[in-house]
Amino acid sequence: MSESLRTEPLPSLSPRPVDSVTSRVAAPVVETTDDLILEVKDFSVDYGWGEEAVRAVNHVNLNVHRSQVLGIAGESGSGKSTLVYAITRLLRAPGIITGGEATLHLGERGTAQGDDNVLDLLAATQRELRKIRWSQVSIVLQSALNALDPVQRISSEFEEILKTHRRDMSRAERRVRAVELLGMVGLEEDRLARFPHELSGGQRQRVMIAIALALDPQLVIMDEPTTALDVVTQREIINELHELRSTLGFAMIFITHDLSLLVELADEIVVMYAGTVVERAPASALYEAPRHPYTLGLLSSSPPLHGPRNELTGIPGSPPDLSRLPSGCSFHPRCPYAMERCATEEPPLRTLDDSGRSVACWLHDDDPSVALPEVLARATPLRVPTSQTKTFVPTRSAS
Amino acid sequence: MTTIEPTTVLEARHLSRHFTQRSTAGWFGAKRVNRAVDDVSLHLDTGRVTAVVGESGSGKSVLARMLARIVTPTSGDLVLNEEPIPIRSKRTLQYASEVQLVLQDPFASINPVHRIRHSLERPLLIHGATSRNVAELSEAALRRVSLEPASRFLDSYPHELSGGQLQRISIARALCVKPKVLLADEPISMLDVSVRLGVLNLLRGLCDDEQLAILYITHDIASARYLADETLVMYAGQVVEQSSGTTLIDEPAHPYTQLLIASVPDPTDPTRLASGNSDHRSLAPIADTGCHFSSRCPQVLDVCRTSEPPMFDVGDGHVARCWLHRDGTEAIDVSLSQRRQGGTITRK
Repeated sequence: MSESLRTEPLPSLSPRPVDSVTSRVAAPVVETTDDLILEVKDFSVDYGWGEEAVRAVNHVNLNVHRSQVLGIAGESGSGKSTLVYAITRLLRAPGIITGGEATLHLGERGTAQGDDNVLDLLAATQRELRKIRWSQVSIVLQSALNALDPVQRISSEFEEILKTHRRDMSRAERRVRAVELLGMVGLEEDRLARFPHELSGGQRQRVMIAIALALDPQLVIMDEPTTALDVVTQREIINELHELRSTLGFAMIFITHDLSLLVELADEIVVMYAGTVVERAPASALYEAPRHPYTLGLLSSSPPLHGPRNELTGIPGSPPDLSRLPSGCSFHPRCPYAMERCATEEPPLRTLDDSGRSVACWLHDDDPSVALPEVLARATPLRVPTSQTKTFVPTRSAS
Repeated sequence: MTTIEPTTVLEARHLSRHFTQRSTAGWFGAKRVNRAVDDVSLHLDTGRVTAVVGESGSGKSVLARMLARIVTPTSGDLVLNEEPIPIRSKRTLQYASEVQLVLQDPFASINPVHRIRHSLERPLLIHGATSRNVAELSEAALRRVSLEPASRFLDSYPHELSGGQLQRISIARALCVKPKVLLADEPISMLDVSVRLGVLNLLRGLCDDEQLAILYITHDIASARYLADETLVMYAGQVVEQSSGTTLIDEPAHPYTQLLIASVPDPTDPTRLASGNSDHRSLAPIADTGCHFSSRCPQVLDVCRTSEPPMFDVGDGHVARCWLHRDGTEAIDVSLSQRRQGGTITRK
């Protein structure tokens, strides 16, 4: 598996010195300031060169904390997958990282070795990357059928990873570990001898999750892991991930277009549109009181399971073509609240309060002449319902 | 929503499709019969949307293909405009002009090497348009699905358009031969979240304004609640629950429907994630004897494992194929379920 994650060489980027203390930007969740695991600053990715270049990720800032679930929501073409591929250096040509920083903090902060154990992902050599891939950072892709080798049995996927990264393990130990991992995702031992085509979609995705957790990584990236599955299987996998996260304590970046799924699972959500982060907020606050018109549109795009059947409108228009992005705010042609200013000036991502909420929208510019629509000004709930409070500290007790 | 009394356009009676699989035991091994669709009856009425909900492998797409007469049923009858259709015969052009199918993946269902004009004009010419009025008709077809200016879209290639626009074009292509029945097989599952509602509202509008009979196949039970006048839930080839309006989703009677609804992400219900039962029930195979769902059912009874439940009336035309409802309710069409338990399949 580790061999299949080879990447195209990147254009030369000068390594930047990273001061792990001063580079700490305003962290969204107060109690976890010291627990940064991934830090992405001012990150941009283009597809193509020169005049043909299309900007897929536009000056994105992200922080992932230990044991945190960061959700990235957006439609196809919003740059969410490109962003994580670029951060993990899996991006292939013609994708180019054109700017920014991505830093992985491997050790515990505050400890002597932890402060030094920092990896600049963009400057890292292939050798350094190979060391952290799968052991520190793993990724689960949308299509497990494409990610698993069709001519290898499931057991050899586990064998390969454990052999590469855990040289001291014996053959028998590797098998015990593989069975244990499959058990964690609810699969029987006999699946080890199967080929990917013999498993159902849900089973394959479970195998992928088990492989991703094989080396106890600190960060697991999930790129639409449940999009191709049906709703019952999706529910089981989401619940399993939630349990595994609280027992094993890994951090997770969960990418999906399904915002209501993210609200359930994630601690913090980043909403992307046309390569730009348009809103960032704690999950429940985002759901209860969205601030960006696009977030509001996304939330009201899925028909509810309860209540009267009212006609919903969704978001008019189509997702933008990245090579012909509208001027100003790229959402303005579809925005019901667009003003003159939106067509000419691009709104910056502006922090709204100390909970880390930020939004890129001129409506929230504190301009007294702009009347903020009521739906975008709802008060954030002061108290999160207890059952939705998520622990950032890993609870080691088995559920 | 409709003022005209709905009339049934297309009716399926006891439709089945079985696929025979050779066993892995080799050439002389017993053959296994996979009942993709097992005795499904439904009717599609003018101005009404009928939704079929089910997970992958439940047989919902095979059902749509049988109704479009792309797949030949093993047994059962099709009735179009009160005239029985000989199911063993070839699909006629007239049938195709009455019943049209829209597929899941708009990128795959429109020829990428031709302009949209070509894709729209072909069915028109096949179904009797003349070269004189074909341009006008295809522009009108695009206007029906709110794609304007029509000329811009006609001259585009599929790769220049978004998924939502392409799905509208494949709906336009289906509508341009003036069908009475539109079969939509997961029309929104490949689309971006923000454009899904647009396509759903388009289907609703076509149904209300043009009295089209629509079959909406989906795995998303919330969208079925939004769109449908009648909802059927399929599991392992059988209809396990059926009801009109939102009753089925608001008061689900079958444990499978209850599971489907409980699986939908719902941020208003914070207990969903917390109470998550990770007992991996979805990995259990479909039960061969008794109720197919008995291997996964949390409320399973002894009787469920041995005999197959018939449809029970739960009230107001709401029916469920579950033994839990046997008390005080009347089984429907019991003769059929007994016949099937005998293992014989009537071939017509």
